[in-house]
Amino acid sequence: MKIITCCKLVVDEQDIVIRPDRSLDIAHAGAKISQMDLNAIEAAMQLAREQDSIAALSVGGCLLGHSKLRKDILSRGPHALYLVQGDKLADISSKDTAQILALAAKRIGFDLILFGEGSDDIYAQQVGLLVGEILQLPTVNAVSDITLDGDSVLVKRTLDDEIEVLRLPLPAVLSVTSDINVPTLPTMKAILAAGKKPVVVWNEGDLGWSPSVADIETISIRALNQAERKQILIESALPDAVGMLAEQLRKSLNLVS
Amino acid sequence: MGKLSSVWLFSEKKERYAQLLIAADILGETINAIVLDGEDISGSSGFYADTVYSLDDRSSGRCVENYAETMAAAIKKDNYATGLLLLSTTKRDKALAARLSILLNAPLINEAVDIRMEHGVLLVEQRLHGGLAIGLKKIHAEFAIATLPPGLFTATTVEPTRKASCQTLPLDYLPPHHSIIRQEHYSKPVNSVELAKAKCVIGIGRGLTAQDDLQMIQSLASCLNAEIGCSRPIAEGERWLGRERYIGISGVMLKCEVYLAIGISGQIQHMVGVNSAKVIIAINKDKNAPIFKLTDYGIVGDLYTIVPMLIDTLKS
Repeated sequence: MKIITCCKLVVDEQDIVIRPDRSLDIAHAGAKISQMDLNAIEAAMQLAREQDSIAALSVGGCLLGHSKLRKDILSRGPHALYLVQGDKLADISSKDTAQILALAAKRIGFDLILFGEGSDDIYAQQVGLLVGEILQLPTVNAVSDITLDGDSVLVKRTLDDEIEVLRLPLPAVLSVTSDINVPTLPTMKAILAAGKKPVVVWNEGDLGWSPSVADIETISIRALNQAERKQILIESALPDAVGMLAEQLRKSLNLVS
Repeated sequence: MGKLSSVWLFSEKKERYAQLLIAADILGETINAIVLDGEDISGSSGFYADTVYSLDDRSSGRCVENYAETMAAAIKKDNYATGLLLLSTTKRDKALAARLSILLNAPLINEAVDIRMEHGVLLVEQRLHGGLAIGLKKIHAEFAIATLPPGLFTATTVEPTRKASCQTLPLDYLPPHHSIIRQEHYSKPVNSVELAKAKCVIGIGRGLTAQDDLQMIQSLASCLNAEIGCSRPIAEGERWLGRERYIGISGVMLKCEVYLAIGISGQIQHMVGVNSAKVIIAINKDKNAPIFKLTDYGIVGDLYTIVPMLIDTLKS
């Protein structure tokens, strides 16, 4: 069985600096693999048997060029990494991303494609579903468990009020939620082995994709107006500090002392 | 003027229609509602669609995702210049919305935190970077799809413009290329916790090292009449608490008087969930923890010393 697990490299939001005009400065922000994509890679690793292969696939701009990030993806277990990399591909829409991923997946060949439910930066929550629809394959979101069953997969879906179990014939496309597993940290052995695994790089032209007229345009991005906080650190020695804390709690909650 | 010619709406959940109808009334000239089994969606809200299209729920086997082709056909028959489809943010509604995004070649915005017309242009806002920022987007397409979280539009500010629906029409089922068929299904255990309504909430994070420590937190919660919530690693990694207690951008958003964060570092995705708390207090042993920039009061120290002391002080 061939599994493709799609992942996105995103800006680390903890590093974003907010300017006085509330615009975002990401110039010095680090990058990381989006959290739910790590769940997807882990799900692939847990599903794969000895004879199965796992390919990681990502679409993006210059972030994909960083060898440290490429190795990070490979250190999680996939046997190979496929990248569709181009300057024009850094901030494309969910649908454009899905079209490119669908073309790449067909080129690579697969029985199962796994996605994280949504990415840390935009959380559009749709790319996996769009890819499934473009490829006209059985596709679901909210996947919290996957079991192989012959030429199908048994999928547990954790919905808002209920849990359902579905049998989907392969090939299929699944978007997993973060409660499906806890991604294991790469071992030193895996990190060292990552550098030796194959990396295939395409640009969008190689796949025969070209951008269409943009149907959504970003007008502005502004940091959320955080509520003003007092930021008072109670620095007295413990028993006094706790006393002050209790006092504040009683006051704010109208508790009878 | 400045309205979209046609707004469509659907949800797998009857109770989500009220908001969708209000939004449609504000945004569109004509309102078309798609419902399951002729469901009466107007209820007590007083808001109506012009036309109601009814789907036979047995056809889909209770999986609304199977209706995408049927809905796309109905929408394509509509003579709109500009249009919009609104759904709620349930997982199923989002899955259906994504299928329709391809079938209708329409951009999809999930969890829009605002949607409005400005000078004849449809604008949508969505959260970015785990809730750190809001992105404002302009829709250029003729038809767009958006899923709306609850509470975005309420009936208090808008008067309905229609007194009743004109007609109800059945929709013929067009089977999807792959039907979703359930093997089994069961309800999730009913949780009666209503974190979003609690006056005081204690949040626990990775600073807690053992599940047994929850007893100590429970004692503190009793003193304060507080509910207990947590950060994501506690709900999904350790699973010490159910996912309904996860506070953050993809969990519960609090509106409490006091939020007391114990052993929580202060990641953006979590802190977005407590932005509306009136007072935020944190206990953390790391003085450089990001949370201290987002609190009103903080104590740097060991929670295993502070919490028992706090319980004693509150009880005396």
